[in-house]
Amino acid sequence: MSQSTTPGETPPIQQLRTLVDLLENPTLARIYTHVLQTEGATVEDLISELDIPQGTAYDYVGRLEDTGLITKARKERPYEFAAEPLSITLTTDGEERTITAELVDAVGRREADKDIDVYLDRHGVDGLATALEYAHEYVDGTVNHRIMAREVDISPLEAEIILQALESVVLEYRDE
Amino acid sequence: MKIEYIADTGVFVRCGGPNADKYQRLRRAVRQADVELLIPRRVHLELGGKPNNVSYPSRPIPWQEGIEEGWILVAEELEYANPLVSGIMDASRRFIANETNRPEDSIEKTDTALVGLAAQLLDSGDAEKVILLTTDKPAGRAAETLLPEYGFPDQIEYWYASESYLEQMTAAEFIDS
Repeated sequence: MSQSTTPGETPPIQQLRTLVDLLENPTLARIYTHVLQTEGATVEDLISELDIPQGTAYDYVGRLEDTGLITKARKERPYEFAAEPLSITLTTDGEERTITAELVDAVGRREADKDIDVYLDRHGVDGLATALEYAHEYVDGTVNHRIMAREVDISPLEAEIILQALESVVLEYRDE
Repeated sequence: MKIEYIADTGVFVRCGGPNADKYQRLRRAVRQADVELLIPRRVHLELGGKPNNVSYPSRPIPWQEGIEEGWILVAEELEYANPLVSGIMDASRRFIANETNRPEDSIEKTDTALVGLAAQLLDSGDAEKVILLTTDKPAGRAAETLLPEYGFPDQIEYWYASESYLEQMTAAEFIDS
C-alpha cells in the first residue's frame, strides 16, 4: 500500500506512525522542515531558531532519527542533521495521496499562519493536501480560486485565502 | 489619458494579515494618486458584499472601509445586451477553459465579468485604458489577449497582485502607468 523513498531501516508501519505524527504535530513538522532546508542543522539551532524548548527538541530529533526521516550528517558533537525530501504515496480504495515534504512544511506553518490553521480545522490534512495540489496549478496559472472553489465545494473567498497562504510553500520548493 | 483600474478579490485577500500593512499601503497609494479601484459586482459578492454575506474566521479582509471612503467603487451592472460585452465574455469563458483545461461550463461568471467590465469601460469611452489588478492569471491573460482582438490594442494591462508587489506599492504605480 505504500511506496517509500524515505531512507532508514525502521519497519514500514512504525515509520508510518511517525509520518502521521509529522502531519499532526506542527512542532515535529517544523523540525523536519528546518533540518531539510538547513545545511548542518544542530539541535541548538532548532532550539534558538524555532523557539522550541530544549527537552522537546532533543526528544523530537530522536524520534525523527529513529525512523530515518533525518540522519546524522556529522557524527561528533555537536551533531549535525540532514534530511531527504520525503515522498510517500498511500493508496486507499483506489484513491492516491502522496505525502510530501512540502505538505509537512505547510502543516508546520499552522502555528504561525492563521489561514492554514483554520483551513486544517475545517478540512483536515487531506483537504490541505488537495489545496496544495491546487496551489501548484495556481502558481503555474492553470487554475484560479473560482475553479478550485467550485471543484472542492468551498467559497471562492476561502479558496483564494488558502491558495495565497500555500503559494509561498510552493514557491519555496520550486526554487530548490 | 483616462485610466480605470479594476481590482479582483485576490488583491484584497492579499491585503489582509496582521495590521493590514499592505492594505494601508494600497489605500495610501490609490488615494494619493487620486484614482479609484473598481470592483465588478460579482467580486463584491465574493468578498462578502450583501446580500451574500460570507465571512471567513481566520481574519477579516479589509475592503469595506474602502467602499465607505470612496476609493473602492462597486462597478455598474454589466451590459449584457451590448454584443461587444457579451461576445468578449463568451470568448473569455472559452479562453479560460482552454488555459485551465476545464470544461467551459465550469468557468465562473466572475472571471468573464472582469474582462466584460474592461470591454464595457473602453467601449463606452469611460476609459481609454484599463488596468486589471488580479491574482487570477488565466483571467489576466484572457484580458490581455482578447481585448486587443476586440478592437482595443494597447488599452489593457494586467498586473499580477503578488505579495512583493503590494508591499512596494506607491502612488507612482498609478500615476506613471
